[in-house]
Amino acid sequence: MNAMPSETESTIAPLAVRGLVHSYEGSNALNGVDLALEPGSVLGLIGRNGAGKSTLIRIMLGLLEPMAGVATVFGEPALALGDEAKARIAYVPQQPEALAWLTAQQMLDFVGRFYPRWDKTFVRNTLERWQIQPNRLLAKLSPGERQRVDLIRALASQPELLVLDEPAAALDPVARRELLREVALRAGESGTTVLFSTHIVSDLERVASEVAFLHRGKLLMRCSVDETKERYARLWLPERLSSAAPAHSLSRRRHDNSSLSLVVELDERGRWPEAASLAGARVDALGLEDLFVEVAE
Amino acid sequence: MDASLLTVQPTASEPIYRQIVEQLRRLIAGGQLTHGELLPSVRDVAGFHAINPMTVSRAYGIAESEGLVERLRGKGMAVIATRKAAQSESHRLALLEPQLQALARHAHELELPAAPVLRRLTKLLGE
Repeated sequence: MNAMPSETESTIAPLAVRGLVHSYEGSNALNGVDLALEPGSVLGLIGRNGAGKSTLIRIMLGLLEPMAGVATVFGEPALALGDEAKARIAYVPQQPEALAWLTAQQMLDFVGRFYPRWDKTFVRNTLERWQIQPNRLLAKLSPGERQRVDLIRALASQPELLVLDEPAAALDPVARRELLREVALRAGESGTTVLFSTHIVSDLERVASEVAFLHRGKLLMRCSVDETKERYARLWLPERLSSAAPAHSLSRRRHDNSSLSLVVELDERGRWPEAASLAGARVDALGLEDLFVEVAE
Repeated sequence: MDASLLTVQPTASEPIYRQIVEQLRRLIAGGQLTHGELLPSVRDVAGFHAINPMTVSRAYGIAESEGLVERLRGKGMAVIATRKAAQSESHRLALLEPQLQALARHAHELELPAAPVLRRLTKLLGE
């Protein structure tokens, strides 16, 4: 699908997919996913292991052909991206493997030639801060060091679209905070669009403007981080009140003592369901992680 | 004012922008931030706490619309509310409302009558 000529650069979604379906050997990895990123947004993708996060990312970037559905990058079909579009993107896979026969420095020098806005100073400083020996072969680095080199490669190209698959796994807390700072400031100041998957929810809460929950191959929920925290809560009802439970809730769990926990949503007038105001009922605010655990169970 | 004076708890159920507004309200009401004092730039706060600059802008925007701070061209955000002028006792008390409600709820869950709770609170307040 080509971008309409009338669309201006700023309205074209850097990444968009529609109706994605994919499976591996009969088990469904993705089961009808629609998702589009606004330019300049930071979307955090949460999901359990095996939820299909990496598959979704690879299809979005055209690295994997879906069984059904359409993926576009800056309006171009993801499976047939031109060089110009590729120069605007940086992607860091969970386990980078490319160019392992080069040293970190050789790889960065080589790759840097393909990017018009390559930031050499950033490379030098960050290699040092993240304690990478530039003259070691990539193949000899630990998986964590390897991913750090790849993060440096991605950030140094000053991409318009930055896609990170579980970037936090390889970093110690200090380096992780530094990466988040880079991501946050680039999104806020240079308008970089960012998609990153993680299961460390607190990272996402710092920098993401939006969050998408991927569960069993479907998007369960997609909303702004702030709104998610304000709009959902856990309602607990003791057994004697459980018949008053609202018919609609995102999840419902009965405890051993027959009390009931529900994830409820504010209505359009900004009020909780009626049962929340009954004596003995409790409404607890939910952090993002709690919310995810509740709805993904 | 330094960006490190603000604390941010990303995992709290209260959104980060509200945490920042809330702290500004308290710092101003308590007199720690005085008239004319400049807030740290959006970039400084976002960089220090590794949070999205848009979150900080949103918080500053709300503080501005509440009349706590004003935008000075070329300088940034400056505190305009002062303790004497704007912060009546009822206003300052209103800032404690969320904590008071939480306290009341906990006391209720523990089936504690009001009297002992109030006695303890009075003691803590040193009166």
